[in-house]
Amino acid sequence: MDDIYLIAVLSNIGMISFIALSAYLLLVVGEISFGQQAFFAVSAYGSGIATAMWGWPIWLGLLWGALVAGAAALVVAIPTVRLRGLYFSVATLAFAEMVRLIFEIFTYQVEIEGELVGPDGSDGFRDIRAIYDSNVSDFEYLLIIYGLLSVVLIGFLILERSRLGAIFRMIGEDPLLTEMQGLNVNAYKILAVVMAGVVAGIGGALYAHLATYVEPKIFNVMLGVHALAYGLIGGLGTAVGPLIGVAIDIGLLESIRAISGYRMIVFGGLVAVLLIVRPRGLLDEAAVHWLRGRWRGLVRAEN
Amino acid sequence: MPILELTSLTKHFGGVHAVDELDLSVEEGEIFGLIGPNGSGKSTTVNLICGVVSVTAGRVAFEGRDITGAAPHRVLAAGVARTFQNIRLFGHLTVWQNLWVAQNSVEDRRSENFAKRWFFGSGAARDAVDEQLEFAGLAGKRNELAANLAFGEQRRLELARALATKPRLLLLDEPAAGMNLEEVHALDGRLRTLQQAGMTIVLVEHVMELVMGVTDRIAVLNFGRKIAEGLPAAIQEDEAVQQAYLGGSVETAHA
Repeated sequence: MDDIYLIAVLSNIGMISFIALSAYLLLVVGEISFGQQAFFAVSAYGSGIATAMWGWPIWLGLLWGALVAGAAALVVAIPTVRLRGLYFSVATLAFAEMVRLIFEIFTYQVEIEGELVGPDGSDGFRDIRAIYDSNVSDFEYLLIIYGLLSVVLIGFLILERSRLGAIFRMIGEDPLLTEMQGLNVNAYKILAVVMAGVVAGIGGALYAHLATYVEPKIFNVMLGVHALAYGLIGGLGTAVGPLIGVAIDIGLLESIRAISGYRMIVFGGLVAVLLIVRPRGLLDEAAVHWLRGRWRGLVRAEN
Repeated sequence: MPILELTSLTKHFGGVHAVDELDLSVEEGEIFGLIGPNGSGKSTTVNLICGVVSVTAGRVAFEGRDITGAAPHRVLAAGVARTFQNIRLFGHLTVWQNLWVAQNSVEDRRSENFAKRWFFGSGAARDAVDEQLEFAGLAGKRNELAANLAFGEQRRLELARALATKPRLLLLDEPAAGMNLEEVHALDGRLRTLQQAGMTIVLVEHVMELVMGVTDRIAVLNFGRKIAEGLPAAIQEDEAVQQAYLGGSVETAHA
């Protein structure tokens, strides 16, 4: 019993980490998106359709979900890239609500073995059974989630030490100045939005297959707000930051029964306090820089 | 052919004529001073050249090519770099990263190698960054966050970052603002070194010790119009210029 519960909590932390990283990437380029749940949703539906209705293998379904989310992100990015600040936030929120309302009426079903399978508007999309049909246990699926999360996290950590990562941070700090370094800021921002869409998409596809059931109301704005808050709590200096935020929220607040009833109060309070005390989170750029310096010092002392 | 040529360049902000029918030509290899009282349109002129604000009328030509209204990143790619009146750095990045990204935007622009272009840059670019740090006297601060530098160091980093893009024309918007006399002399020396290396510089400045000493020619703006142009010595004697600076002589106006 405890094991099952633990696996469920860890799976949840893993899946939500993807959307947290997605929102984090946009925070790094200086934009607050209230709409990352849309890419999570698009991929959940897209990958579910691929495996449950078209009979694709799971891995192809996951890949397809991430690609569809990336494509959706490109569609959002092109018209919104010129928007800054509040205008970008409102546009992403509007897009996400649009996606959610489309799924409320989106019906696409086929008959498989005498049963109707597929999204049915507000009744949701049942029986995305691919992992159970192929006998993947919850524990094995947990390993798949964390394997993919590791790959994405390592990608983020490489990105942070790279030129592209530095450019993303530059845009977040001063877009005009970045432009004056000879860099096409709008093109880089489109790239960031698409990358964020793909990352959220991986989480959405994983979610759909573990839950076996998705419905539009899961993907409401609160999911996107949480995704944003994780980066703001854990810190915007490194991709580890948002993961800390997820661990604090889901690992502590939601999963420990004694305090879960007060989750939103504690969580909201935590965000409010941190925004005042540490506006860029626990692991902000200065903290990360300090830690790196200490690390270099230690390595030098070893040699 | 002048390296930079402004023809009837005009910028109106609503009813305000920030820059009005400005003609200016800067020859290759010279240090050209652009001075004038506050609000005379100097910074706006720089912003117009760089594509930061849109041009109302007129033309900007660099090396004979029309760059009027080009996006800032295209102006830089053409070979024009600038610094800002208020220091603008990427405070969250290290000193080294500040220069590295700027450096690479030119060095690896045409690089076919995916990893080089997007991730790690070329070895040549890294060496060039180290050279720039040396020239700016910041070699010891390479791993410091730019936000943590002292004021004078930030100014030097800003200049180094502009140079890292390998420009042929450098626009300096009040580089000596807030500097003490010693720092101004150091800057003077640095500008002369750059000139000897073949750089063309447009210097927007209030600090007359610097402008009168280092420039080859000066243009004076007032209310967006050019009221005088010539050698530094002649500008100091010019009556219209003295009038513009509230009746005082140029030398005492900003002492």
